[in-house]
This record gives sequence, structure tokens and C-alpha cells, in this order.
Amino acid sequence: MTIVAIAWNTFREAVRDRILYSILAFALLLIGASVILAGLSIGQESRIVKDLGLASTTLFGTFIAIFLGITLVSKEIERRTIYLIVPKPISRPGFLVGKYCGLALTLVVTVGVMGVMVFLLAALVDGGATPALLIAVGVDFVALLIVTAVALLFSTFSTPTLSAIFTVAIFVIGRLSGDLTLFADQFADAALKRGIWVMYLALPDLGRFQFGSRVVQGLPLAPADIGMAAAYGLAYTGFLLLLAIAVFQRRDFK
Amino acid sequence: MSVRAPRRLTRAPWLAGALAAAVLVGLVVPLHRPQAVAAKFDLIEERVWLLPPAGALRVVSLGFHAMAADAIWLLTIQYIGGHLIGDRQFPHLRRLVDTVVDLDPHFLEAYTLGALFLNYSGARVQTALDLLQRGYRANPNRWELPHDIARTYYLELKDYPKALEWFKITDRIPGRPHYIPRFIARLYAATGHRETALELWQAMRDSATSDWVRDIANREIAKLERQSATPFTPGASDTSIRKRP
Repeated sequence: MTIVAIAWNTFREAVRDRILYSILAFALLLIGASVILAGLSIGQESRIVKDLGLASTTLFGTFIAIFLGITLVSKEIERRTIYLIVPKPISRPGFLVGKYCGLALTLVVTVGVMGVMVFLLAALVDGGATPALLIAVGVDFVALLIVTAVALLFSTFSTPTLSAIFTVAIFVIGRLSGDLTLFADQFADAALKRGIWVMYLALPDLGRFQFGSRVVQGLPLAPADIGMAAAYGLAYTGFLLLLAIAVFQRRDFK
Repeated sequence: MSVRAPRRLTRAPWLAGALAAAVLVGLVVPLHRPQAVAAKFDLIEERVWLLPPAGALRVVSLGFHAMAADAIWLLTIQYIGGHLIGDRQFPHLRRLVDTVVDLDPHFLEAYTLGALFLNYSGARVQTALDLLQRGYRANPNRWELPHDIARTYYLELKDYPKALEWFKITDRIPGRPHYIPRFIARLYAATGHRETALELWQAMRDSATSDWVRDIANREIAKLERQSATPFTPGASDTSIRKRP
């Protein structure tokens, strides 16, 4: 019950944040502008609208996850409200999980708005909007859950600025980590190859959640792939949350 | 005693806003516009020249490969448009299209439209065929690519056995156009080449999504109609088709 209350409070606090509306406005503007760009593409209107729309959803969803996530804990410390919460019968893990769920709920709403706009524009441009488009947005949302958990983890022990830098770095690494396996194949040294593989397995692979290209090309989506990606995303999020709880437990707020 | 701000200062935000608008309209735009208009074509050429290799673009696009491919595709369209109204030569077209399909191997129109311009405006038939065959290898379930390969062999190279081979591949792929079995029959019989050519161009004109493609198709249809008075001379390869089972 406490977790739900904290989550709801975090959600209400997030939707009052002006930064959320600024990012959302930019996202909707860019998604809308894709229709203008599509007009220049010679027969590729639907493709441009979907590609740009899905990429904007991912990118701006990530911005929201980072900018709101990095202040989740640090804001409480800065305002000293954490000193009022900690002595209360609220467990620290419960507090963190509640905060995380509140931000995840905010992301559900914002990504949902962006996804529906992409869907409607795609339907408007050539009637080519399929439910698969919304599935692609949904799978991509799991990647945002990982980014949010990364931001929360850094937020438990670092300043907002540093947390933002670290989270952006992890996002970039995560988007490119799939290429690590290609690099590994280039090396003859078995130990180095194994090292790169270990690094790849430990880092988040955010490329696994990109089903948008397949949807845009009209290629079928394999339910097993979607299920595996979602399971991987949720497992990785769980790992990051546990790590964040471990760090947060060790902090002294007395 | 309260101190009131002078009236001039209260109005300052509006004044500053009006001044900013005046500077933009009166100075910035007139200074920028002539240069921007003059350099429009050069700017596209410069972007084409400076286009990084696809490998580098894959890294900097952070996995947003499809969006990067779209951006290069829009640049390709501008490049084609610029040269269509100019020298009608496309020296960098293959590189641009290769970059697009390196980023997104499923970008079907990059293969088909790229090949069309390489073929009909650049007179680089073999390059167009290479591009289409690359597309077919990456997208074996799309009929459009073997269809365009067959069309190129048929219309440009007059290599009817090869055209037959590729039309047969097209015939096996779901969604192929209704006229393919008819073409295959005609190729076996080695007759009706003009009708086939005309039908191919009409199909291209009817399915065209741009005036550029429609213009090429109309030009070729007019050419075929002008030739209709003279009897059709089948190519040497027709004999070999007749020998097929």
C-alpha cells in the first residue's frame, strides 16, 4: 500500500513538472513534422512517418526517463524531505520501488500519447497503421524501463548532473552494445574475445527492443522474440533496482 | 513611499520583442536569403561529397538505422532532383543508394528507384542490375526486385533467356503482378515482345508514386508507339528461348 502511495505521489509530482511538458511538446512537434518531411520522400510517406515517429518516441521517452529519473532521489535529499520519510515506517526498498513505479507510470502515459500520435499519423498518411506499430512502441517501452532504472541507480549516490552524464553514457553504450559481438569476432585472442563477450552480456543491450524497422517494412513479428526481449528487459530492470536498493540501504540519512 | 518603475521600462519587454522581430526581418533574413538561395544546390552537393561511410553512420546513428537511412534517402531525392533539372548525370547516385541500403537493407524503393535512375538517366545498366540483385539477396520474399531485374534484361539488354529466368523467379513470389504468367508464356513462344514491353511500361506508369518515374514511363511508351509502324525484330536470343521445354 505504501509503495502505491509513493508511486502515485511521484506520478502526480512528475506530471506537474514543466520539463515533462517541454519534452513532450518537442516530441509531438517532431512527430507531427514527419508528415512534412514525408512529402519530400517520393512514395515513402508512411515509412518516414513511422520511422521518425518511432525514433522520436524512443529518444524523447529516454529524455523523460533521464531528466525525471536523475532527480528521483536527489530531489528528496536536496529538499531534505528524505529525512522526514526515512524515520517513518516505510522501508527503503519500498520507497525506491514506489518512486520507480511512479516514474514508470509517467512514462506509460507520455510514451502512450506519443505512440498513439504516431499510429494516428500513420493511419492518416496511407492507412498503413497496424497494431504491430503499437506493439513496437510497447516493446520499446521496456527499454525505457531499463534506462529509468539506470537513472534511479545513479540518483541514489550521485548528483543530478553526474547522474545525467552516466545515464546518457549507459544509453549510448546500450544502443551500440550489439556491435561488441561483431568486434569480438575480429580478435584472434580467445581471452580478449571472451572479455568482450562478458562485457556485452553484462551491459544492457537496448538494441534488442528495436522492432520498429520490422514493423515499418511490414515483416512479421515473432511472438517468441518479443517475449524474450520483454523478459530480458524486466530481468535487467530487476537487477538494476536491486543494485539501487543495495546502494540506497548503505546511505546514512540520520 | 512606493517607487514605481518608469513607464518606459514596463513596456521594455514588448519593445525588445518588436526590436528583435525588426532585426530578424530587416537584417538577418535579407543578409541570409541570397546566400541560401544561391548555395542551395551546392549545399546538397557538398553534403553528398562529405557523406560519411555507412559504417560510421551506423555508429553515430546510435541504432536508429532506419531513421538515418530515411535522412540519406531524402538527400538522395534532393540530389536526383537537382541533377534532373541540370546535367542529368548522377555520378554519386550509387554511393548514396548503397549508403541507404547499408543502413537499411530492406529499403525496397532505394533499390528500385535507384536502379531506375542509374538505368534511364545514367545509362549504367550493369550498375543498376548489381543494385537490384543486391536487393534481391537481402529481400528474397519481395517480388519487386526480381521483377525489375527481369524488366531490365527484357527492355534494356534484350536478353530474353535471362528475363525469362527472372520472371519465373518473380512468378514464385506471393503478391506478384497478374501479368507475369502471360509474359512467361510469351517469352516461351518468343512472340509479342512489343506488347510485353508496352505492358511493362504501362504497369510502371500506373504504379508510379512520382512524376519522375511517370515521365520516364511515358517517354518509353511514346517511343514504343512511334515504332509500332515498323515490324518488330526479335533478338538473337529468341531462338534459344524457343528451344526451352
